[in-house]
Amino acid sequence: MKKTARNIYLGLILLLMYAPIGTLIVLSFNSSKSRSKWGGFTLKWYRSLFQDEAIMSALYNTLAIAFLSALIATLIGTCAAIGITAMKAKWRTVIMGVTNIPVLNSDIVTGISLMLLFIACRFTLGFSTILIAHITFNIPYAILSVMPKLKQTNKRTYEAARDLGAGPFQAFMRVVFPDILPGVLSGFLMTFTMSLDDFIITHFTKGPGVDTLSTKIYSEVRKGIRPEMYALSTLLFLSVMVIMILINISPKETDKKAVSASAKKKRKAPLYQVIPAAMILFVTVTGFFHHLRTTGSVSEKQVIVYNWGEYLDPEVLDLFTEETGIQVIYEEFETNEIMYPKILSGAIAYDVVCPSDYMIQRMRENNLLAEINWDNVPNLKNIDPTYLEQSQSFDPENKYSVPYCVGTVGILYNKTMVDDPVDSWDILWNPKYADSILMQDSVRDAFAVALKRLGYSLNSLEVDELIQATDDLIEQKPLVQAYVVDQVRDKMIGNEAALGVIYSGEALYTQRENPDLEYVIPKEGSNVWIDSWVIPANAKNKENAEAFINFLCRPDIALMNFEYITYATPNTAARALIEDESIRNSSVLFPSAEDLKDCETFRFLGDEADSYYNELWNKVKSN
Amino acid sequence: MKPTLVDLIHISKGFDGQLVLDDLNLSIHENEFLTLLGPSGCGKTTTLRILGGFESPDSGQVIFDGKDITNLPPNKRNLNTVFQKYALFSHMSVEENIAFGLKISGKSDAYIRDKIKYALKLVNLEGYENRLPDSLSGGQQQRIAIARAIVNEPRLLLLDEPLGALDLKLRQDMQYELIRLKNELGITFIYVTHDQEEALTMSDTIVVMNQGYIQQMGSPEDIYNEPQNAFVADFIGESNIIEGIMLQDRLVEILGAKFPCVDVGFGHNKPVDVVIRPEDVDLVEPELGTIQGVVSHLIFKGVHYEMEVQANGFEWLVHSTDMFPVGKEVGIHVDPFDIQIMNKPESEDEEAIGVNE
Repeated sequence: MKKTARNIYLGLILLLMYAPIGTLIVLSFNSSKSRSKWGGFTLKWYRSLFQDEAIMSALYNTLAIAFLSALIATLIGTCAAIGITAMKAKWRTVIMGVTNIPVLNSDIVTGISLMLLFIACRFTLGFSTILIAHITFNIPYAILSVMPKLKQTNKRTYEAARDLGAGPFQAFMRVVFPDILPGVLSGFLMTFTMSLDDFIITHFTKGPGVDTLSTKIYSEVRKGIRPEMYALSTLLFLSVMVIMILINISPKETDKKAVSASAKKKRKAPLYQVIPAAMILFVTVTGFFHHLRTTGSVSEKQVIVYNWGEYLDPEVLDLFTEETGIQVIYEEFETNEIMYPKILSGAIAYDVVCPSDYMIQRMRENNLLAEINWDNVPNLKNIDPTYLEQSQSFDPENKYSVPYCVGTVGILYNKTMVDDPVDSWDILWNPKYADSILMQDSVRDAFAVALKRLGYSLNSLEVDELIQATDDLIEQKPLVQAYVVDQVRDKMIGNEAALGVIYSGEALYTQRENPDLEYVIPKEGSNVWIDSWVIPANAKNKENAEAFINFLCRPDIALMNFEYITYATPNTAARALIEDESIRNSSVLFPSAEDLKDCETFRFLGDEADSYYNELWNKVKSN
Repeated sequence: MKPTLVDLIHISKGFDGQLVLDDLNLSIHENEFLTLLGPSGCGKTTTLRILGGFESPDSGQVIFDGKDITNLPPNKRNLNTVFQKYALFSHMSVEENIAFGLKISGKSDAYIRDKIKYALKLVNLEGYENRLPDSLSGGQQQRIAIARAIVNEPRLLLLDEPLGALDLKLRQDMQYELIRLKNELGITFIYVTHDQEEALTMSDTIVVMNQGYIQQMGSPEDIYNEPQNAFVADFIGESNIIEGIMLQDRLVEILGAKFPCVDVGFGHNKPVDVVIRPEDVDLVEPELGTIQGVVSHLIFKGVHYEMEVQANGFEWLVHSTDMFPVGKEVGIHVDPFDIQIMNKPESEDEEAIGVNE
């Protein structure tokens, strides 16, 4: 009885620990892109994973950096450990303390300080800086793993080797090194996995065009992580598990007086650690050759692009290089807030960036943007004037930005579950739909809904209006099933809710998956968002940047990107090329000027107003 | 006398400002079994490590076979060491351990094979070639360590407390083994130990050291029978060390009683230290003894009885095959040639290295 209880308890703990990873593995075999619907078993994500060059190159970078940094850090760490062991006790304690501090230091501090150091030393951020950073944070781990082995080693064995005629180096290699080899190997494997896992430090020390798996995956969060990434994560998890199992299988310390058969076995113990090390070497070398095969020649002319993850058809980049001879160095960001400090620091001179409306305003106000020379962007004529007009709220004279993707925020509802007409935000306050309403879990989006419903501006700075909106949101709260971000899409597809606040870009996809869903921009008006291309003030290749923007405005290219991203394009010429009539005339994607009459873009309201909004939002959430 | 192999000349060595060896001079002859004996911290291991090349002296010279090797690294010296706790290479088999030195000096495979066979035979461990050191007993490991050293045919073998980690029975067996080896190989042994019994059993020459100084050097018999000072007398075997006054040649006063002895040349009424070994104290009927006392302790030791006798305010240690029960009144008699007279330490410095240490 007691035993059963114990086993159940253990099972529960294991379930908690492994349920998330189990979910991931299951989803990697799900043929539906949705995270809540099982569409049958498939291996297609694994296939397309290995065909995706961006992912494969990130995988190669990850492995190469992990392998090299582990190798170099282990080498340095082993030498350091030998030196530290030879020190007097007092110094040894001091030095060990000093080397332990970086281990305890938080990654973000290490990452930022490394970035600052690289900038101060005028290093170009890229592959080599990531490598140096990884070596730096790995050295203490290598020391920590070699030290105990050195301490166990009988110092007299080194002297015995010297006594028998070996020189100092020979004695070390033949006698001391085999003794500490298990420590060195486990140090190597440990630093390898540390490097494999790292996101934060890599994020701060990487340059444009270089991605590791962690930064690559993270850059995709805005558009939803692709199922290929589930497949890759599954493979990574399994490989790490195999390595860990191999490390831990090493046989137990045999009895001192063991018979010779078991003595033989013990001699092979380090093999259990040699195997994973050899596997890592093999994979890295293979990756290296793969990389050599796929890397083309580097051209003199270049343009450094900083864009949202998954926000451009990779083929477009190849076409651009083919036609203009300009090499594209492409880097992705996850949120406006991550992109902004990178531009502000000036660590990397990006040539062309794609921020959102309010962020463009903020960058402009801080003199981070360069005026675009419109003579170099004749294709601007293809852009819908409505959006150029909307852009004036953050770029008053249309001097700095070219709209790239646009969309609205509206209500997605399930026709079978809602029988009232949906044309107003009021429906989200209708008790009939209690527990079937999904709200966006972000302060500005939530307040936009409440403010617009009351007929106010969604950039309101009037305290009265804001308090009114706050009260309304509190009143609405009991009706809300959940405040979510990405899950609106999945929950609506899975018929888990009747009404949800959603971005129009997601609406088209949800409708394809579940035909009962309908998207509406409420009559009170809503948020219209615009992501636009801008050129930072410190761009080094401004003309190439303008050529790039002009290229993206070409109808056929804009069409390619539209089909890849599926967010609405403000490019009217491209829209005319869309073959599918239902999409071309979709009022969801391409709202009329009438629909947009009362819509506004978000503005950057200043730090003070920002924190006031946050304060009110906290009040709503905690009420 | 055999020719000199090693000369240590004016060797001094300190660690962290603490002097461990102070102006040490020592000559070691070819084919000699010389033992450095003393308590821990006396400098005996440091002396050995200077010989081996693992420490360099602060001053002085090491002359080996006529050449100055003071600054020669260990791998260039024609000598080998058997380390305390063996220091075998745990990841190598017995065979590989023994072959280590030969491989480095570039000997042929056939030669190495022969040598391994010969060495294992010498230490009675034939058939152990493929075993790992950890699978052997302490005594076996010790013999492998010796085999590993001697296959290199050194002129000099240094042994640093090699039997310290073994149990009593094994230690005694290994003592005979070492003597046999030395006789068969005909090489010089320098042996470090703190165990006086080991030293007495095996050595041709014993060097008793304390606090970085040589206290006495001589054959085991000399050292045991004629200790030159109280430290040596106390350290070698068990002793009754009693303050006395040399009244005249061949007569010493101990605890108020006059004892005839054989020593001469100390002058008249000179304070001295008197050493009497416990087995040299004869217990007799009270009226036959020079002084009288009462047995206060009695322990059976196997070969003999160990007794303590209170007489004239001193507790005499007595070894005898005859048993005297506790409380019995006895007389104490000592034969004149069993009384060893030593000068009292003359300076403060000598006092410091004396009995109290």
